[in-house]
Amino acid sequence: MTGLIWKDLLVLRKQLKSYLIILALYLVMAALGLFPISVVSAVLEIVLLMLPLSAFSYDEMSHWDRYAAALPVGRRTMVAARYLFTLGVALLAAVVGLACSLLFSLFSGEPVGENLVAVVVCLGIGLFYADILLPLCYKLGPERARPWLYVVIFLPIVLILGAYYLGALDALDALPDPVLVALGILIPLLPLAGIWVSYRLSCSFLERKEL
Amino acid sequence: MTNSIELSGLCKSYGGFALQDVDLTLPGGAILGLIGENGAGKTTTIKCILNLIRRDGGEISVLGRDNRKEERLWKQEVGVVLDECFFHDTLRASDVGRILAPVYRNWDPALFRAYLDKFALPGGKLVKEYSRGMKMKLSLAAALAHRPRLLILDEATAGLDPVVRDEILDEFLGFVCDEDHAILISSHIITDLEKVADYITYLHQGRVVLSGSKDDILDRYGRVACTAAQLAAVRPEHLLRVRRGQFGCEALVADRRAFHRLYPDLAVDPLSLEEIMLLMGRGNEA
Repeated sequence: MTGLIWKDLLVLRKQLKSYLIILALYLVMAALGLFPISVVSAVLEIVLLMLPLSAFSYDEMSHWDRYAAALPVGRRTMVAARYLFTLGVALLAAVVGLACSLLFSLFSGEPVGENLVAVVVCLGIGLFYADILLPLCYKLGPERARPWLYVVIFLPIVLILGAYYLGALDALDALPDPVLVALGILIPLLPLAGIWVSYRLSCSFLERKEL
Repeated sequence: MTNSIELSGLCKSYGGFALQDVDLTLPGGAILGLIGENGAGKTTTIKCILNLIRRDGGEISVLGRDNRKEERLWKQEVGVVLDECFFHDTLRASDVGRILAPVYRNWDPALFRAYLDKFALPGGKLVKEYSRGMKMKLSLAAALAHRPRLLILDEATAGLDPVVRDEILDEFLGFVCDEDHAILISSHIITDLEKVADYITYLHQGRVVLSGSKDDILDRYGRVACTAAQLAAVRPEHLLRVRRGQFGCEALVADRRAFHRLYPDLAVDPLSLEEIMLLMGRGNEA
């Protein structure tokens, strides 16, 4: 499995470098006060989560799955490696977002709790993305699954905004801050619970595929 | 000694094509050449062996192990080169080593580097900058660096110039010097197989129509060139395939010496594997 994760990192290293430059630009803009640091956390999660989709596309271009299936790893390991890579990317985005948020909160006086919740919500969306998009990539292929990326990313945002404007979130205002932060931290646990189902679904798609 | 590959009654059907009851045995220390026209079922057979596609029936064992139940075990001892290079364009040869090292228990980084040097493959160059010959050599280096006992090659020499092909064929011959090693190779380039193969299996429209030791096939099979009237005098059961042309006829016979004893007036010539394949593929029933 290490070899397969290594492969994704090596294939995507150039893309990773360009994303680091984008991150640096956003950090500078946040430091200049153009937008709050929570925007950087969101951009980081969205941009880094393009990587697994790119990994699928590169694999499809070089017909890697056919070769990988001929290696002594097994198809379930192929799927597990892709899930670990995706989870690693989502976690990395959250950790970097968290570090940036803490630093900014320290120096600019932005509320720590709010920034923390923003990072955790982004991580939740990242995990939700893995739940839905990875099985779709195995079933439909990366190109046909790509439009779903936008649905997966923007659906939770639209739902949260809709709930906010409909007043469904008003009750949250009554809750004390520590409770709100605790609730926020629980957000990623929901999609995390779905990962196993998603993984099994992806395994069954790949196992049925004739390569 | 355990056979390196054993196939019995292999069946696999797609919409308009069916692989039917394919039997094949590859003994250790040998090279088996799988020949046949496009769409005859060579790649399907190899995919079934590698468990890349589901078979409809039959049994397959590789290095004495069931190809499905013990897949990860036997694949540790098998090197695979398929008809294209599967390494991403943005990788370097050295990256390929880093990816495959954790995959194979017996991966030998020094041996991989030695193959890269032997094949004159620059480790720092991107795969997309390699020629087709270099890509196939990289695939071969990757297939050999874990010291496999069996190589499975599907059209691995297709599209390569004769010099590179010869170099790769020499490598194959060196590989089977060890009696524990074996190679299954499918190719359109029959002259290559005539050079290196010990056994030949000819697939035609999804069926095995000829299988055996190459020397035996070349020694036994023969071509009769004659007129239509002479051909009419030959009993059909003595002929495998017949081609009737405007200026004469030719027929394939399974035992040219026996045929000559029966029909001393007809000339029977030895023929190459390619000629056997052409007569089998394009000829008709006698």
